[in-house]
Amino acid sequence: MLDFQRYQLAFTAHIRNPELHPKPANVIENRMAVYRESVFNNIFESVSVCFPVCQNVLGKRKWHHLIRNFVANYSANSPLFREIPQQFLAFLESITDLPPYLIPLAHYEWVELAISSQQTRAQSIQQTLSTESNCLDNVITLTPASTLLAYDYPVHKISKRFKPTIIEKTYLLVFRNTSFEVKFIALNSVTFNLLLHIQSQPSTGRLALAALANESQYPDLELFMRFGAEILDDLCKQQAITLS
Amino acid sequence: MSSLAEIKGAGLGLKRELIPQIQNLYQEPYNAESSNQDASIANIHFVEIAPENWINAGGKAEADLAWFIERYPIVCHGLCLSLGGPDPLNTDFLKQVKQFLSANKIPLYTEHLSYCSDYYQNQPGYLYDLLPIPFTEEAVKYVAQRIRQTQDILGQRIAIENASFYAAAPISTMDEITFLNAVLQEADCWLHLDINNIYVNSVNFAQQQDPIKLAQDFLHRIPAERIIYSHIAGHYQQSPNLLIDTHGKDVIDPVWDLLDTAYRLFGIFPTLLERDNNVPPLPILMREVNKIAAYQANHQNKQPVNFQQNLTRVIC
Repeated sequence: MLDFQRYQLAFTAHIRNPELHPKPANVIENRMAVYRESVFNNIFESVSVCFPVCQNVLGKRKWHHLIRNFVANYSANSPLFREIPQQFLAFLESITDLPPYLIPLAHYEWVELAISSQQTRAQSIQQTLSTESNCLDNVITLTPASTLLAYDYPVHKISKRFKPTIIEKTYLLVFRNTSFEVKFIALNSVTFNLLLHIQSQPSTGRLALAALANESQYPDLELFMRFGAEILDDLCKQQAITLS
Repeated sequence: MSSLAEIKGAGLGLKRELIPQIQNLYQEPYNAESSNQDASIANIHFVEIAPENWINAGGKAEADLAWFIERYPIVCHGLCLSLGGPDPLNTDFLKQVKQFLSANKIPLYTEHLSYCSDYYQNQPGYLYDLLPIPFTEEAVKYVAQRIRQTQDILGQRIAIENASFYAAAPISTMDEITFLNAVLQEADCWLHLDINNIYVNSVNFAQQQDPIKLAQDFLHRIPAERIIYSHIAGHYQQSPNLLIDTHGKDVIDPVWDLLDTAYRLFGIFPTLLERDNNVPPLPILMREVNKIAAYQANHQNKQPVNFQQNLTRVIC
C-alpha cells in the first residue's frame, strides 16, 4: 500500500467510526468534523427518506444508532445513490436484535422505490377493457413494473401504534401505473395465487381461473369464474394487469 | 444531439424539482415572442446530470431524461468514480457509464479530483462523498493512471474537476494547483474548472493570507488549453475561515469576479450554475444563469490575455 493510501484509510476509518479510530495525526479537528458529519448526514438522509415507517417504529435514537452501525460496518458496493436503501436492507439482515417484523417492513418500504424506478421495456399501449375485450377471454399479464409479495406480517398496517406480535400471512401486489404512480393492493390468498399463476404463465382469465378452481377443488366453477372475472376487471381498471 | 461543440454558453444543473418548471417554460427554439422576460429560460443552453442518479433509472426519471435528451445537450458530471480511491477502479460501473453516454448521446463526462470509497472489507466501500486526496507525487501518478484507464475504457477524454476540500493532509508535499497541474499533464485529460471551489479552498486554507489574492494566483496558474467546462455555485459560510461547498445559496460577488477574471484570462468556456440545496423557483435561478450569459457576452469578442501572452512568446 502507498503512503498516501495509508493516510486515506486512517481518514475514512475515523469517518466510519470515530469512537474506535482516532483521526489521522495533525488533521485539524473542526475540519475533520466537516467530513464526519457530511458523510453521515448524506447516508442518513438517503436511507431515512426510503424508510419512514421503520424510523418511526424504532424511534429516533435507535434509528440513528442503526445508521451509525451501517456507516461503520457496511461496505457499500454500488456507486448508484438510488441503491443506498437496498444496501441498507442487505445490512439489516446482519442485525440480530431487530423486532421480527422489521426486515419485512423495511423490504415493503423499499419496494416502492424499486418499482417506481424499475426499468421496463418501452411501454406498449395499454389495452383497457372494452366491449371487444374482457379478462376472461383475453390473455392477461401483470403490468411490467410490478411485483407480488408475501409477508409474514401485515406490513402495510404497521405503525408506532401497531407493532404486530403474531404471524399473519399478508399478500400484496405492488405496481406502477401509466402515470408513474406506485400502487399497493392487499390481496387474499386466492387472488394472490391467481396472480402468481398469471405471472408464471400468461393465459386467459378463464384458463387461469379454471386451473385455480381445479387446484383448490372449488365446488362451484361458475360462481368462481364470476367472482374471478370481477376481480380481474377491477385489477385491469387499476392498470395492475394488462390484456393482450 | 449532441456533440461536444454543442456544450456552450450557460447551463443549469438538473435537479428533480426543476424538471417540471423547465418543461413548463420551455419553448420550441426560434420562438422569440416570449412576452414575459422573467419566464424566459432561453439562456439555458445545456443541462448537467450525475450518472449515479440516472443510470438504470426507469419510470418517471427515464421519461424525463428522454424529454431532455430531445431538447438539450447534456453533460454527465460524476460523483462516485472515486478516481483517488484505494479500491480498484470500478470498471463495471465505467462500462455502464459508457453505455449510458452512448445511449443518450452525451458528449462530455467529468469527474472530481477526489475519492469516495475506501475498499473496506475488500469491497468498494462507497461513502458517497467527495474526500480529499493528499497532494503527493505518488498520488499524482496513481490518480493519473486511473484517469488514463478511465479514458481507455470510455474511449474518450474526460475532464477532472478541482474539488473543494476542508482538511489539509499533513502528508501533502505540494499545494493544490501544483497537484492539479501535475495530474492534468500526467493523465493528459481536460480540466473541468470549478470557480466556486477555487474561492472556497482559498478561504479555507488562507491562514493569514488574502484569499482573493490566493484565488487569483491559483487561476493564473491554470493551463488554459485544458479548460473544457466550468461550474459556478454558492457556498455556506460556517465561520469566517471555513466555507462549505453546499451549492445551497446564491453565488457571491468575489466568485463572479473570479469567473470574470477567468474569461478575461482564458476566453469564454461553457459554464454551468450548480444549485443542489434550497433550490429557489426557476425564474429566480435564471437570474444567475442569465448573469453567466452576460459575462460571456461581455468577453465574447475579446482576445484572452493568456492567448496574447502565448502569441508574444511565440513571436519572440
